[in-house]
Formats: sequence, structure tokens, C-alpha cells
Amino acid sequence: MQDTIKNLTERFGASNMIEKKPGLIFITIEQSKAISAVTYLRDIEGYTVLTLLTAVDWIEDNVFQLTYLLNNPEQITEIGLRVMIDREKAEMESAHHLWPNVEVYQRELKEMYGINFPGSPRIDENFILEGWNDKPPYRRDFDTKEYAENNFFPRPGRKTNDPAEYMKQKMYPNNPSDYTNKKYNPNR
Amino acid sequence: MDIKKLLTPLTAWGNITKDPVTIKDPLNERPGADRYRGFHRNDVEVCIGCGTCEEICENEAIDMVAIAETKDGDSGLRPMIDYGRCCWCALCVDVCTTNSLSMSNEYTWVTTDPEDFRFVPGVDKKDWDKGDKGWKKPENYEFYSIKRVHMEELSPEERNGSFIEMMKGYSKEQAEKEADRCVECGICTATCPAHMGIPEYIKAIRNDDLEEGLRILYDTNPLPEICGRICTHKCESVCSMGHKGDPISIRWLKRYIADQNPSEKYKKILEVENLQPKDKKVAIIGSGPSGLSAAHYLALMGYQVKIFEKLEKAGGMMRYGIPEYRLPYDQIDKDINYILSLGVEIEYNVNIGTDISLEQLGKDYDAVFSGTGLQLGRSTGIEGSDNEHVYYSTDLLRKIAQGEEIEVAESIVVIGGGNVAMDITRSLARLQKEKYGKIQIITTSLEKEENMPADREEVVEAREEGCVINPGWAPKSIEIKDGIPTGLHVVKCNSLFDGEGRFNPQCDLDVKEFWPGTMIVQSIGQGMDISYITEEMREKLEFGPRGRVQTDEYFQTSLKWLFMGGDIIQGPDVIHGIANGHMAAVGIDRMLNPEK
Amino acid sequence: MEKSKLFTLNEDRSLYPEHDENGKPIVDLSSHKFLKIWQGPQHPGVTGNMSLELTVSGDEIVESKTHVGYLHRGFEKLMERRKYIQCFPTCIRMCVAEPDPNEYVLSNAIEELSGIEVPEMAKWLRTLVLEMARLQVLLRGVPGQAGTFALGLGYQWGNYLRDLILDSFEELTGGRVYHMYILPGGVRGLLPDGFKKRMEDKLKLIDEFMIKIDKLIFQNVVFESRARGLGYIPKEWVDVYGVYGPAARAAGVMRDVRKTNPYLKYSELDFEPYTTTDSDVFARTEVRYNDLKMTVDLIRQIMAKMPEKGDIKAETPNVMHWKIPKGETYSKCESSRGEYGMYMVSDGSDKPRRVNLKGPSYTHANALLDRLLINANIADTAAIMVSLATCPPEIER
Repeated sequence: MQDTIKNLTERFGASNMIEKKPGLIFITIEQSKAISAVTYLRDIEGYTVLTLLTAVDWIEDNVFQLTYLLNNPEQITEIGLRVMIDREKAEMESAHHLWPNVEVYQRELKEMYGINFPGSPRIDENFILEGWNDKPPYRRDFDTKEYAENNFFPRPGRKTNDPAEYMKQKMYPNNPSDYTNKKYNPNR
Repeated sequence: MDIKKLLTPLTAWGNITKDPVTIKDPLNERPGADRYRGFHRNDVEVCIGCGTCEEICENEAIDMVAIAETKDGDSGLRPMIDYGRCCWCALCVDVCTTNSLSMSNEYTWVTTDPEDFRFVPGVDKKDWDKGDKGWKKPENYEFYSIKRVHMEELSPEERNGSFIEMMKGYSKEQAEKEADRCVECGICTATCPAHMGIPEYIKAIRNDDLEEGLRILYDTNPLPEICGRICTHKCESVCSMGHKGDPISIRWLKRYIADQNPSEKYKKILEVENLQPKDKKVAIIGSGPSGLSAAHYLALMGYQVKIFEKLEKAGGMMRYGIPEYRLPYDQIDKDINYILSLGVEIEYNVNIGTDISLEQLGKDYDAVFSGTGLQLGRSTGIEGSDNEHVYYSTDLLRKIAQGEEIEVAESIVVIGGGNVAMDITRSLARLQKEKYGKIQIITTSLEKEENMPADREEVVEAREEGCVINPGWAPKSIEIKDGIPTGLHVVKCNSLFDGEGRFNPQCDLDVKEFWPGTMIVQSIGQGMDISYITEEMREKLEFGPRGRVQTDEYFQTSLKWLFMGGDIIQGPDVIHGIANGHMAAVGIDRMLNPEK
Repeated sequence: MEKSKLFTLNEDRSLYPEHDENGKPIVDLSSHKFLKIWQGPQHPGVTGNMSLELTVSGDEIVESKTHVGYLHRGFEKLMERRKYIQCFPTCIRMCVAEPDPNEYVLSNAIEELSGIEVPEMAKWLRTLVLEMARLQVLLRGVPGQAGTFALGLGYQWGNYLRDLILDSFEELTGGRVYHMYILPGGVRGLLPDGFKKRMEDKLKLIDEFMIKIDKLIFQNVVFESRARGLGYIPKEWVDVYGVYGPAARAAGVMRDVRKTNPYLKYSELDFEPYTTTDSDVFARTEVRYNDLKMTVDLIRQIMAKMPEKGDIKAETPNVMHWKIPKGETYSKCESSRGEYGMYMVSDGSDKPRRVNLKGPSYTHANALLDRLLINANIADTAAIMVSLATCPPEIER
């Protein structure tokens, strides 16, 4: 494991290594070197199983994080490779040639996050969603609640009360807490 | 082909003679298990409508609907559950602050109207309401800590003979841990006389944003250091967390926020560096909590405020009525100096009524707020109570605060069971320890132990310090010998109120005791001194019960320019004074700026 | 082992279609040699809904494409707007048939991210519940394999016993199907009085059932003829295609998280997962049959070793505003179908930033199934899918 990390760092410029628990590390790889690193891990270091490939939307940093989680069944260790890609130009080199299932992961990522993997087989086919015309739904800026409220109808007749607000109306409708510092101070 | 493998499976025909395993009448023969998560039950008498169940419901299946009467500690709301959304996870049961919510083991209810599957458990009667089977919150765990974080204090030995503040305050970890216990129901806000944003400032502690916390405090309370120490914390008595465990230590958390913000940063944090001045003037009589509160909010609004204080320092009863070990003077100064820094003027040693008349103030200023409080001691009126060695606690406490020497006797008897009685008892005990090296003080009240008006911790701490608190006795007479008291005769007091709730103590005259003491202190309440209101004015003012001046919701009297608040109108306590002062400030602003 | 050839009608299944240089079949529908049919979404091979787009030549499949999308509920996204405590009643639905591994991996991920140590008693109870879940699935899954060849009898027996195990779940957790028992920090209750005794009675019934099912399925010429040689997975595919659990062990590759990464109390239990090398439907059924036996044994061991009392939940921050430090982790366990894992990312707030569940069906039912079905018979699709323990809800979540 230590050698692997050393090699990753030296040859692929990996950084930000975190050992989450014994046998599981996460490490960041530059986008341009990511697929070579994955291939290296698979072919040289014995990380022959792709446990998962998924994305995390760091919308505030304007990046998507792709996580390639690889498993070494001999050493019983796992490496999670984080690859940060530009959110505006959400595109990543395809890894479908490495494992047959990668195309499925990539199809799902295309659909759910709008991350493109040029050259990946059937990449433009629907994976789950059919006739979807909104933004990719797993992006953080897609609001599931708002979507549900706009597209489905709520059960009529439901009304709730906030206890504190309700007590105010009932017990002290006019009270000093309405006239706070905020109201009188134009600076706030 | 293996012929054996063709025949072996046929052994399954052996089952043909066996009885079926099916439950023949599942509706009657198959009740849900003891822990089954079926339709809800709610004990609506115990439920306080805190809405935590609604908050934790991940399916938004719960609505809080108006059912019961709204009162202190009970919003009157009760959960209505939409079983079209409920996923039967029982998080609502586990998180319930009162344990009123539980689930039945009923799962076979059928009805033709889908709307029936939306009901208020416990209110809309169901067959399963009576049973006791079904999911209840497991006893082995809680979703939050129900134990209060202990605040470190000086030991009784360290406290004796010293007026150093005894509660040490929370550390950051302690405060955040205590703040974490809050479920943000907001039941407390209604009970707080100033309706402070309690859940909000507790949240600010959790977020470690104490500047925001201070802003929230000053929205409704300009004396947080003081209130953070000696507030009567009515909020804590209704805290939803108090039903299963200890209420949140709201008062100490407030103190934590104020303590952590240095006074020199207050103006920047509170964003009051550029107040817009107005050309109207307001006079305030008395620098107690209500006067200071009014002055603060009026100053924020831009009014020119001047406070007239009778004594040589500001603070009123907060300084002269509360011992230093509970409320150190530098903390009082911190709060008051900030208010004065907003441009509030103060004139000391001015007695309204003698030095300046109230009418004169009314003419010189656009409005006057009076918060003169209760300073007169109330006498028991028993035989011997007019002796010069029989004191009022208010006078003694004021003298201690002013640094005057008090002739502390070797043995003392205090009459009274409220917080002031505890204050004077513990103060005198400290002085006794200083002077004589030992404590000999006995305090009694009419009320029995469980009904004593003083805060529980005050009684406990007084005993820790070596004072004798012996409640449930009525003072009978003070024995005087050669002009000096020798002790107090008491008789057993059995009940205070008659059947109609009127004050009418019933005593057992046969059970009597004599407690020796050469100094007797009466601490049975205070009276107001509003002699500055002249006869002509009295005719124009309306008076309510107990000699109090009648005011409207903005604490405006029938003399339009005169506002009154604080202990002379409501209370007595600091937080009511603050609320009154704030509301009066709003009222004054409404009067002087009617267009708003 | 001798393979029966009884019902194989056409030895040479390589007539159609021709393949291009990449090995992809050249399917020209207009040639009328091929037919496209859809199997599903109601499919005998799965619990849940899933479609196979099959291109057939006669009754032989020349190409298969898996289509999911009938059970997508977006739980991963829904959890992003829920507090951590609210996630555990949500996540269970990601695999309906076996909800407990969902609860466990979620709770474990939260505990790993926030550094909470679960009390001993809770670990034992979690182990017990996870094994009961496996038992409950296999009781239906093993005879269900015969059900795909229209031998439904064993399935009825198994379902009855499964119901008895669900009764035990109901006693322990308050729910029959969705147990919502393992929550972040611990579990929600101790064993009720007399639980062990009642459980032992049920296990005895299962012991009898095991003998009966052996006679009904494994000593059955029909089952054997159809299952042997069907859906062969070469050993080399295990890593390439992402084959887990019983399916990998049937190919002679030891894959069992309980052994490789012992979690909870598995290191204190005595068990050896069964492996074989035939790697066909028969072998996979055999492995799961032995898994079932092992699970019964494990439950007995757990009940004997576990303490009577103890803390069941670690102290956590107030669940109403429980914030978890920034970080990411992958938490896994062995479900009845293989490695079941959850990747969780926290951004320091009170809600998860990203939750990604990875169940074995994701790889089993996509690339692997597409590959296995080539040259298979239409009637055998269900058998192959069941032997891979396909669970569509965990593919699309």
C-alpha cells in the first residue's frame, strides 16, 4: 500500500491522501493523468476490481468530483481516486475499455450529472430516465422538492402551524420582539 | 439419467397428509407484535405541541393543528398524521420530548374514505387508543442528551466569607454541548416576558457565531450579562426538554454569549456606530432594568435620552438588591456602559419629586418613562417588628452594595422564602463568617419546602454554605429585651390559602418554636414609592388593582406623555422590566412619530 | 462433475448471427432471421421490475440489453436533503428484499465519518439482524431458483419459513419488511423475552426444510439437467465483470466481506464460506444452499455468544442538528448477493453531500447478464437472473 501511494504520488502527481480506515485510502489525481493511474493500478498494482464509479457535485467550487473506487482483492485494500473536473465543461476521458461495466456507470453519470464521456458506448442512451427534459437531476442545483411541487399536486386541505409562531399569534400578537434592533437600525 | 433423481423429488407428496400452516382468521388470530409500529397513539394531555415530531418526520406526514388551549409551555397544537405519507419509522415517537407519542400494534384498519387516513391521534378516537401494545420509545436510548451540562461553581467553603462570583460560566465545549440539546421548538419564547429569540441564539452558539448570538440577544434584551446571571428564567420552566430530563440551561447560555464578546467590540458587532439622531428628547426616571431597556431602544431609534438616577450608580435593584456573588458589579457595568455609549445621558443623585418635579420633566421633555421599581421593605407587622434592630432586606442589601458597614449580629433570623430572602441570608452569612468565623443564621418562610418561591438552587446553595433554611413557619412575635431583639417566636404554618385561593394562612398554634437571634431581617416583599406623583396628577391617572397605575399595552398612562413600567407595573423581576422598557420605547416612538 | 445433456436440443449454437471483428453480433432485423422481444418489466427473474431487450434467433438469444428505470426513486438525491437521522428510514428501500444491509452500511458510514464507536451489544444485535436478513432472503432465493424452472413447490415452503423469520423481525424491530432497526449509533432495542427460544424452534424447522429442499431440488433430474452448464461464468470474469458473493464463490473465487474485511462480530464467529468451481446456475444454487446452512449455524452461534444486556446505542449529538465533519468513506458488508457498499461524502453540514449505494446487482445485471445471456435459451433467462440474485431497485436506487 505504501509503495502504491508512493508510485501514485511520484508518477501521477497524486495528492491529498487520506487514510479513512485501515485498507481504505482516498487520493486526488489530476484529470489528465486519471485514466493512466487507473490503468496502472489495475494492471500493475493488482487493483483489479472497480468497486464503483460515481460523482459528487461541489457546486460551490464549480467542480465535479469523480470517484473511482478500486479494490485489490489480494491485498484486501481499496483506493478511491478523486478526480476533480470542471463543472462547466463536464467531460472526462472514458474508461470503458478497462472494465465492461464502466460504460454503465458512465451512462448513468451522463444522465444524472450531465458529465460526458466521449467514446463511451451507448453514452447517449437513456439509462433510467425516459423523456427527461430538465437539467440533470443529481446536480445540486436541481431542486427535487421544487420539481415535485411543480409537477405533482399535493393532497388538498393540509395546513400546519409552527409552534413558536402560533403561540405568538395566540398569546402575544403585539410584543417587543417585533421591534428589534433590526427594525430601527438602518444599518442592519 | 439417474433414475433415483427422477424419483426423489416425489417425496414432496409426503406433505399431502399434513395440516396447512396458513392462519385461518388473520384478522383475529394475528395481532401485531408488542413492538409493532402501527397506527399512532398520542396522550394529548401530556403532549405540549412542540412540533419536534413534525420536524423529524422525513416524509412531511405530520401537520401541527390547533386542538388544545394555548398556554405557557403548551402551544395547543397537536400532530395530525397523514398515513398516505407516513412510513411507520417511529422517529417521531423516539424523538418526542414528552413521550406522549407512541404507536399501537394495530395494522388492519380498513375504511372506505381515504380522508379517514388523516387524523389526529388521541383526539380522533380510534379502537387502538386504549391498548398498550405497540412501539414505544426504547428506554435504552435518547436522540439527544437529557442531562444538563454541569456548570462548575465554587465549593461552599470557597464561597463562604467571599463575594466572588460563584458560578464559573461555561467553557466553549460545555456551552456547545448544552446548546446541542435544544430541539428548537420555540415553546420557551412565548413564556419569556421579553419573548427573546431563544432557539435562535442557542443555534448561534452551536454554529460558534457568537457575534450573531449577541445581535439576537440585543434584539430583545439590552442587559444580557445581567440576565445571563440572575434572570428568573421562566423559559427554563417550560422547556420541552424538561419533561424527560433537565431543561436547557438557557440562562447560562445567554451569559456565555455575553461573556465571550468583549465590550469594546459591542458597537461594531451590533452595528450601532452610525445611529440617525432625532431632535426629540425623552427623560427616564430610574436606571433599573426597565429604565435602561427603554433608554437603549430609544437611543437606537435616535432619541436624546436622559436618565435620572436617585443613587450614586446606575443599575437600580440589579446593583443594590442582588449580592455581588451572584451578579458581579463589573458585569453590571459592562451592560450599562454599552447603553450609555449609545449617547444616553445619566444624572446621578437626583430625586424626582424633590429635586425636580415630574411635571417639570413632562414639560422639558417630549416623553417621560418612569421605572422607579419597588424599594420599600414590607413589614410583617408582628409584635416587635418596629424595633431598630429589625431590618428590611432591601435596605441591608443596598448598604452592602454601597460598601457601608453593617452591624452584623452573631445570630440572625431572616423572615421570608423568596429569592431576596436567600440573597440576604447568604450575604449575611458571608459577613458573619468574615466577622465571627462562623455562621449562625436561620431563615423561615410561611410556605412549605416544596412551595418556597425561591429558586431551588438558591435554597440548596444556601444550605451548602451553612445557613439553616427551615420553611413552613409563621412568625408570631419578636422578643425584645433591653431594646434589643433576643429572638423570634414562630408557629407551625399548615396552609397558606383557603379553599377559594385567598391568602389566609392556617397555623397550628400548639406547635411553636423560639429561634434566638439578636438581628431580625424581614424579607417578605417590597412596596413601591410613587410619592413623586403629585395629587393633581393622581387625579388624571387611572389606577388598577394593588395601587398600580393603569397603563395600556405600550405602558402609556392616561397622561399621554408619561409612560411607566418595570416592577411598579409588572413583575417583579428583571426580565419583565426589560420587556416593559422595550415596549414603552416602542410606545413613545409611536406617539412621537405617529406617521410610522 | 458430469454434465447432463438431456434437454439440450441444438448442440451448435454458433450458427447465428455472424460476428464482426470485435465479436459483436451482426443483427439485421430485416433479414427475418432475428426477432426482437422484450422480457419485462414484470419479469420472473427478479424481485422488482426490469426489462431485457432480447434479440433472438429462434429461441436462442443473440443479444441482450438490460433496461432499468422502472424503480428509480432517487433515494440518493433525496438523502441529500435529509438530516442524517432521517436517512435511515429512507435508505432501506434501495433493496426491498433485503433492507438490513442498507441500514447497516448507512449507519456504519455515518459512524465512520463522525468517529462514533458502537457498543458491543449493538454490534451483536446488528450481526444477528444481518444474518436473519440473509436467512430470510435465502429461504426464498434458494427454492426460488427452482421456481424459475416452474418448480414452485419449494418456493411455497421457503416462503412460509420466511414468514416465520419475518415474525421474528416483527418481534425484535417492530416491522416485518422494513425493519428500521439499525440506526446511526446503534440499534433500536434489545431482544424481547423468549426470542432465542422461539428463534431456535424456527431454525429447527429450517433444518428439516434443508433436507426436504435438497431432495426436491438438488436430487431432481429436471433441475439438474436445466441448471448444469447454464450461465457459466469463467473464473477470469470475476474481477473483470465485478462478480461478488455467492456467484464469485461458485466460480472458485473467495469473495465474502465477512471473511476478507471482518466487520461487527464476524471475526469472533466460526464459519467458512462454501466455494465450488462449476460456476453455473447449479453451482450458484449450491453455494447459496450452503450459505443458508451456514447462516442458520451463524445465528445459533450469535445467540449463544451474545450478552443478555448492554448499551444498544452510543451517545450521539442531538439528531435534530447532527453535523458530521467533512470527509468521505466507503462502508461495506456482505449481503446475500455479495458485497454491498455505500460511498458517503459529508461536507460538514447536517445533511450528507452525496450518498452512493453500490450493490452487486449493478454489475451482475448489466454487463455480466448481457454477456451471459448470449446463446442462452429464452426460457433460461429467468434462471440466470435469479442465480445472479438480481435486485433491480439497487441498480437504479
